[in-house]
Amino acid sequence: MSRLRIADLLKPLSGLLLCLGLALSTPLHAAKVYTLKFATLAPAGTSWVNMLEDWSDEVARESKGRLVIKIYPGGVQGDEPDVLKKMRFGQLQGGAFTGYGIGQIYSPTRVLELPFLFNSIDEIDYVRAQYLPEIAQGYRDNGYELVGWMEVGFIYFFSKEPIRTLDDMKARRIWNWQGDPMGKAFFDASGLSPVPLSIIDVYTSLSTGLIDTVYAPPLGAIAMQWFTKTGYITDLPMANGIGSLIVSRRFYQNLPQDLQKLLKRTGEATGEKLIETTRRDNAEGLEILKQRGVEFVEASEDLRSGEVVNIRIRAGENLMKNGYIPRTVIDRVNGWLADYRASQPQDAVNVAE
Amino acid sequence: MDIQRNTLLPAPLARATGLIVSLLLLAGCSTGQMVVRGSQTILDSGVVAMNSETDLELARTAMPANLKLIEGMLLEDPGNIELLLFAAQGFYGYSYGFIESEDTDRAGALYRRCFEYARQTLPLRGFDFDPEISSPDDIRAALASADKKDVPAIFWTASCQGKWIDMNRDKVAGFAGLGNVEVMMQRVLELDDSYFHGATHLFFGVFYGGRAPMLGGDFARAEQHFERAAEINDNKLLLVDLMHAEFLDRQQLNRDGFHQRLTGILEAPDDLYPEMALINGISKQKAGLLLEHEDDWF
Repeated sequence: MSRLRIADLLKPLSGLLLCLGLALSTPLHAAKVYTLKFATLAPAGTSWVNMLEDWSDEVARESKGRLVIKIYPGGVQGDEPDVLKKMRFGQLQGGAFTGYGIGQIYSPTRVLELPFLFNSIDEIDYVRAQYLPEIAQGYRDNGYELVGWMEVGFIYFFSKEPIRTLDDMKARRIWNWQGDPMGKAFFDASGLSPVPLSIIDVYTSLSTGLIDTVYAPPLGAIAMQWFTKTGYITDLPMANGIGSLIVSRRFYQNLPQDLQKLLKRTGEATGEKLIETTRRDNAEGLEILKQRGVEFVEASEDLRSGEVVNIRIRAGENLMKNGYIPRTVIDRVNGWLADYRASQPQDAVNVAE
Repeated sequence: MDIQRNTLLPAPLARATGLIVSLLLLAGCSTGQMVVRGSQTILDSGVVAMNSETDLELARTAMPANLKLIEGMLLEDPGNIELLLFAAQGFYGYSYGFIESEDTDRAGALYRRCFEYARQTLPLRGFDFDPEISSPDDIRAALASADKKDVPAIFWTASCQGKWIDMNRDKVAGFAGLGNVEVMMQRVLELDDSYFHGATHLFFGVFYGGRAPMLGGDFARAEQHFERAAEINDNKLLLVDLMHAEFLDRQQLNRDGFHQRLTGILEAPDDLYPEMALINGISKQKAGLLLEHEDDWF
C-alpha cells in the first residue's frame, strides 16, 4: 500500500487557500477598462505608428491597464471620412486626421493651411499656439476632443515640367483632390483649371498623362511613389499641412477625470513628437529626392513676392464667401502673424492681408 | 539550378566533349574555383533536401552552417551567379522562416545581406542599373531586353530589397525604393509568372493587399494575384493563404476570412506538399502566431 503523504492531503487545501488569498487581494469591483479604438492612415512600422504605439504603451502603463488604446494602422478602418463616420456610430473612438478630415470636423482650423501663409516653422508654431484653444473649443462644439496636434508638413508641387511662374502652372494639368475645398479655393484664386480626381487615381493618372502635376509633402510624394513620375519639384511650399489626434467627445466625457488628464497630457506630448519626426522625415525626404535626381526648381521672384500674396488673399475670400472659414478667423490669424513678424528682427515681412 | 544536357551526341562522345569543354572552361580558374564549381550540384541537392525538411528545428539549426559554407565558396569564386543566388535565397529563407517573427532588426540586416548578394548578379547578367538609386523608368528600360534566363537575378534582387524595405518602414530612404521593386517584379511577372512557385504573385498580393486604396492598395488585384499563386501551386502551398490572411484580410478587416484561412493552415495535413514541407511547416508556425493577434487587430 502506498504511503499517504501529508503533502498530498494538503494539496486541495492549498488550492483553496490560494483562491481565497487571491479573492481577498482583489478589490470587490475590478476597475473599469476603457478601450479607445484609434485609426490612422499611416502604415504599421512607420515612425508615426511606432510613436502612436508608444503612446498606447505609456497610457496602459500609467493607467495600470484602465485605459487601453488599440491602434488600427494603415487605413484598415477606411479613409478619414469613413473613420469619422465610425466615430459617430461608436465603432471607433478616435483617429489621427489630416486637414482633409479636420475640414469635416471644424473647417475654420484650415485657416492654417491657407496658401503661402507662413514663411517659416517658427511662424507656424507661434500662430498655432495662439489659435489652438479656439480650435479645441471648435472640435468640442462639434462632438470631438483634441488630444494632440500634429502636422503633415510643407506641401510642394511635383511636376513633369519645371514650374517657375504662374504661367508655367497654367500650362500644366494639375491634380486637385476631389472634394477638398482648400484645393479648390487655391486653384480658383490662381486662375487655374485643375483635374479633380480621387487620391486613389493619382498615380495611374500621372502614368497615363491625365495629370502632370501634383501637390504633396515630400514624405507623401515618396510614400505614394508620385515622385517617380515627376522630375521636378518647385522649391516654394504652397501650404503647411495640418493634423490632429482626436477622440470622440462622448468617449472623452465618459472617462474618469484622471484618465482624461492622462489622455490629454500624453496625447499632447505624442503630438509634439510626431511634429518633430515629421519635420525631420520631410527634410530627409527632400534630400532623398535630390539624390534621386528630382530637380529643384526655384520659383520666379514675381511668384515668390507678389503673386503668392494675391493668391492667398483671393483664396481666403473664396473660403469666407462659402462659409468654410469665417472672416474673423482669417483676421485674427493675420493679426497674430503680423504681431510675430513685428517682434522679429528686421526681415522680409510679408504679412497676409 | 538547371543542368544543361547534350541530347544530340551519343553518350560516350557527349561525355568526352563535355570533359573537353569543362577543361577549357576551367583552364582559367583557380583551384578553389574549380572545387567550388564542381560542388555546386551538391548545393542544388541541398536546397531540395532543405525544402522537404519536416523538422523546423533541424532546418533552423542547419541553415546557418550552409549559409556560411556558401559565403566561403563565394570568397573563392565571387562572380559566380549561381552561388550569389543561392546566398540570396538562403538568407531570405532563413530570415523569413526563423528570424522575422522574433527580431525585425536582425531580419532587416539579413535581408540586406540577401540584397547585397542578389544585386551583384545584375551586372553579371548585363544590366547596369542600380536597384536602389536608378529611377523606375530607367530600370524598366534596362529590363526591356531581359529574358527568362534573367528572371532569378531580377526576382531575388527585388525580393530581398522589398523585404529590407518592409523591415525598415521607418526609414524614408527605404520607402523611396519601393517603386523600383515594383518595376522589377512586374518584369518577372511578364517573363515567367510561375517562377519560384509563383512568388511574384504573392509579392503583388501583398503589394496591393497590404495598403489602403488611398495609399495605392487595390484589393481586387490583390485577390487575383493570390488566386493565381494558389493555382500555380495546386492549392498546396500554405504560404498563399498565410499571406492572404496576414495582409489582405487584415487590411480589409475581414476577421472571418483571417480566422478561417489561418485555422485552415493549421489543420492542413503535414504531407500536403512533401517537396515544400519546410515552407508549409513555417506557414503553420506563423499562422499560429498571427492567430494570437486576432483580438488586437480586429
